[in-house]
This record gives sequence, C-alpha cells and structure tokens, in this order.
Amino acid sequence: MSVGVARIMAGLLFTNAPAHGQVQQVAVEPRLAQALGLHLGDTIHLGSAPDSLRFTAVVAALFTPKSDPATLMRRDFQIRLHLPALATLLGQPDRVDRFGVVVRPGANPDSVATALNRTAYGFRAFTSREVAGGSSQTFRVVSRFHRAIAIISIVASAVFLLCIMLLKVEERRIDAAVMRFIGVRRRTIFGALLLEACLVALIGSGLGVGLAYGAGALTNFYYQRLFHTSLIFSLITPDIVLESVVLALTLGLVAGALAALRLVRTPPLTLWGRG
Amino acid sequence: MIGLWAAKNLRRHPLRTGLALAGIAVASALLLDMVMLSGGMERSFERLLLSRGFQIRLSPKGTLPFDSEATIGDVSALVASLRVDPRVAEAGAVLATTIYARRADSLMTLIAYGIDPRGQAFYRLQSGNDLAPDDTLGLLLGAPAATRARLRIGDTVMVLGRLDPQAIRPVGERKLVVRGMVQWLYDSPGEASVGALLPVVQALVGQRRGDRASAVVVRARQDSSVDRIAADVRRLNPRLEVNSVATLVTQFRTRLTYFRQLSLILGTISLVVTVLLVSTILTITVHERVAEIATLRAIGVSRFSVVRQILVEGAALTIGGTIAGLGLGLITARYLDGILRSFPGLPAAISFFVADTRSLSVAGGILLVAGALAGCFPAWRAASGPIAETLRMEAT
Repeated sequence: MSVGVARIMAGLLFTNAPAHGQVQQVAVEPRLAQALGLHLGDTIHLGSAPDSLRFTAVVAALFTPKSDPATLMRRDFQIRLHLPALATLLGQPDRVDRFGVVVRPGANPDSVATALNRTAYGFRAFTSREVAGGSSQTFRVVSRFHRAIAIISIVASAVFLLCIMLLKVEERRIDAAVMRFIGVRRRTIFGALLLEACLVALIGSGLGVGLAYGAGALTNFYYQRLFHTSLIFSLITPDIVLESVVLALTLGLVAGALAALRLVRTPPLTLWGRG
Repeated sequence: MIGLWAAKNLRRHPLRTGLALAGIAVASALLLDMVMLSGGMERSFERLLLSRGFQIRLSPKGTLPFDSEATIGDVSALVASLRVDPRVAEAGAVLATTIYARRADSLMTLIAYGIDPRGQAFYRLQSGNDLAPDDTLGLLLGAPAATRARLRIGDTVMVLGRLDPQAIRPVGERKLVVRGMVQWLYDSPGEASVGALLPVVQALVGQRRGDRASAVVVRARQDSSVDRIAADVRRLNPRLEVNSVATLVTQFRTRLTYFRQLSLILGTISLVVTVLLVSTILTITVHERVAEIATLRAIGVSRFSVVRQILVEGAALTIGGTIAGLGLGLITARYLDGILRSFPGLPAAISFFVADTRSLSVAGGILLVAGALAGCFPAWRAASGPIAETLRMEAT
C-alpha cells in the first residue's frame, strides 16, 4: 500500500449514504488516484489536518470533476464523501458551507435574498447572479488585460502595415511615373494601388487566420495536457475571425490609401527621379 | 563619418524613417512590458515575503500558507522549539480567520489575524502602539477596517467569533480596545482586517483547545543557514510543509505559468516585428541605392565600409526606436499593472510589472542585437552586388 498526503477539496454526495456501522465510501478523482496509487477497494485515511487522519474510508468510485477555470491554477485534488461522513470527519456535525434554495415560480430571488439577510445570523444569502458575478471577477480582469494587449498589438500592426505599404507603393514610383506620362489618370493609378493594398491585406488576413487557428490548436493541446483538463483555452469564433479580418482590411486599406495618395500627388518627373 | 552618412540617409526619407521608428518604438514597448511581466511578479512576491525579514514559512502538509482552512496544532510548543534553536532569530505563529464586529444592531465581517507581536511578518505599524505580548485586550486595525467600522485609536469595539446559526449565538465574544493602526502586508486593496493576540483570536473562533494556527514564520540569524534550518524543521515535523522564500517563489511561478508564457510569446512576436521592420527598411534602402553603393565601391570604398554603413543605419533606427519604446513601455506597463493588480484577493503590494535596471537593459540589449542581426542581410546584399554590371545598367 502506498502512503501519501494530499490536500483535498471536499465535495459532497447526498445520495446512497451507507447505513450506520457500514464502512464509509468515498469517490476520488483519477488524478488523485494516480498521485497516491489508489485503486477501487483501497482503504484510505482522511482527516481535516495532516496530524489527525482518523477517518477511514474505502475508495468506492472514481469520478471526473467538472472543469473549473477558477481553480485550474491551484491544481487541487478532489474527493467526494457523503455529507454526514464529511461532517463527522470535520468534527462539525450538521454544519455545511453553503446550500442552495430554489424560489417558487414568480418569486423574485433578490427580494428573497434580502429578506433572508435581514434575519440572517451566521450566514449570508446571495442570488445566483451575485455568485456568478463574484466568481467571474478574475476572468473579467484577465479579459481586460487581453483587451489592453490587443490594443497595443493593433497599434504596432497598424504602424507596421503603414510602413510596409508606404515602402511597397514607393517601389512603384517608376511604374506610376510611366503611367502618368502616357496619360493614365491619377484616380486610376490610385485605384490600382488601393486594389493591390486590398489584395495584400486580404491574403495577409487569410494567412493570419490560418496562423491563429494553428496557434490556438497548439495552445489548447499544450494547456489541456498541462492541466489535465478538457477546458478550451483558445477559442476562435466566427465573430472573432470576422472582426479581425475587417480590422486588418480596414488598416490595410487606410495604409494603402495614404501611401497611394502620397504617390499620386507627387509630380511624375519627381517620381522619375528627374524633378 | 559613417555615422553622419547613415544619419543623412535616414533624413532623406523622413516619413519612412519616422514610421520605422514608431513601429520599433511600439514593438520595443511591448517587449519591455513582457520582460517586466516575465520576472516582475516573482521579484515583487519575493520582496513582499522578505519585507519583514522572515525567510521560512511553515504550514499544514500539502498546503501553502493561508491557501486553505487547514491549521497546525500545538503551535505554542512548535514555536518554543524553534526559538531555542540558536540559528533562529525569531519565530511566530499566526491564525487567519473571520470574525465580526458589532456596530449598533448590525454585524460587520472582518478578517482577523491572531498574531504574536514578538515574531510577526504580517503587518507594519503606522500609528499608535503595537500590541504587547500580554495585551489580551488590544486590537490592531488596518485602514479599510477603521474606515468601515468608524473606529479610531482608543475606541472600544465588541468582536464576535464564529456565529452559530442554530444556537443564534457566537462561539466567542470579547470587548477589545484599538491600540494602533497598521498596514497588513498580505491584504488585497480594501480588505477590512484586524489583529489581536493569537490566544484571543483562537478563543474567539473556538481554536484554543487544539492551540491551532494557520502558519508559522521563522527568521534565521543568517541567510546562509536558511536551507539547513528548513531541512531540519522538515525532518523533525514531517506533517508540516516547510517553505523557504525560494520554494514559495517557485510555487508562485508555477501558478502564474500563464503570464510567463504569454510574456514569452508576445515578447517573441514584438522581436519578430522589429527584425522584419528594420530588415525591410534597410533592404528597400539598399535596393534604392544600388547605383550609389556601386559607385562608392568603384572609387575604392571597401566592402567593409559599405557593410558598416548599412549596419550603422540599422542600429540608429533600432536605438532611436528603442529609446522611445522604453519610455512608452514604462507608461503602458503602469496601465497594464493597474489592470492585473485588480485581481480579487491579490495582496496590494504585489506588482506584475516591475521596472528595474535589469528589465530595461535586457529589453534594450535584446532589441539592439535583433536590430544588428536584421541589418546583416541587407548589408551583405549591398556589399556583394556586381559593380560594373550595376553601373552599366544605371548608365543605360
């Protein structure tokens, strides 16, 4: 039998509690079973502190906990016990951390929570919306951080794009001068250069989308293995693709237009290098 | 001479040079931010852990300090055994829990630290008096708790321990007097925390019988003996998790893997952007000046001089962009740090972006090397072009 100590986050099973005198049964997650070398039928010792492992139970089941991004980084192990067993283990009979209340149809959860809190002693009532708002705070911060990084990236891309477009259009100085000499209108040259910029932006966007899908798949592959989870870390939705392509096209067109405008305003002789 | 030549050439295309500088500036700002992010959290966390000089933390096996509600039993004996070790300068236990303050007919929730004033690593006195080791009536307040409870030094407050909803009474209740205002080092912004002697808080929440605490801190007389003390404590107390600052920083780093990897990816992207930008600009410049370069070569200017001139031009662009970028990076880092520091439960003293000479020199050094490398290909092209053929083509 292998011996190990693992910190566990206890969950609860409310059904099929063993009758008095029977051996207590617990369910453990596969990751914990692997870490401690546990198998179905093994006996384990549990306690609320490492120096008081007085509770004996048998591993009756393995379960896969629901993936929770909020606790992902902590990498806690989970184990499930029957409620009375956990209360006994903690030395706190008939006590719970929290319980849920379903209000009758038509009742306002906010009013019910307010009424409960008015007379509460030793507990506090929250609506599901409040709980969700509190637990999603971390993700809101990460989301704001991502947005800020995205803005910096967009600024960098815009400057880069403008620079490349300017250089690309400047490469066509001689072509533009020749076209102007043979009577092609400025508007036509401008349109041709803009079309070219649009094409470049479109091809670049396509390549970018492909690269994003590849990077996203790689990110999910890596982190899902790192954290032993089925959570999706990089999710590229059609909306995101559309937003990115529109942004890239807009930036490309604006950069191309600015560069083309500068070129068509330059006298043909200057473009030819004799001005 | 070479420098002047490069500067003149860059001035010849002000828009192009300006855009290139702007591009490099934004890329280098992002790179600096990512360099600061990659190591800033760890340095900031380490600084926080060592702010009171305690190098070792003891917590229940399998946990980090204050990471769970698990507690250590018989802490008085444990602390006493640590204090007799001649290598240990000081040791102290702390219990973190929730208590309530009675205000009129309502109860206010507070975080309570049960502390031993002789060995505490958790607060810094700001005004008033610290608790004496036998002051069982004293209370220390953090600013948010004082504001919310409208308490000042000298005020008396009734505090209640764990509330029992079935019996409708608290486990413990005691009247305490505010002795001083403190800054709780590990509190997140706005957290209402108070402190009293460990036995007082233990009695309030019913943890007195087992003499339990959340963590024990140890300050070694010499930094060199920290690892040896930690190993000895670990050997004598196998049911405790013994962490030195270095191991805690490693654990912290593991939990924040995401930010380190993000910084690596974004830092790499910004470097690629810089290299592409510098090499594109220089390639185009070289392409435009093939005739000029061929003429210089024909009148006896060496290949080495041409290569040097192109490299100096690339370096000038990179240095100019980097200088602007470092300033921009410090501003954006402050903004990004403000976002990340609003993580719920994060100590207010933790920073994600820590600006120091090391970060600035690493980011600047990487960019300069990248800029120099980016100029290599255009420089090689400029120096290896056929002289006669280029001049003939230019003439026709």
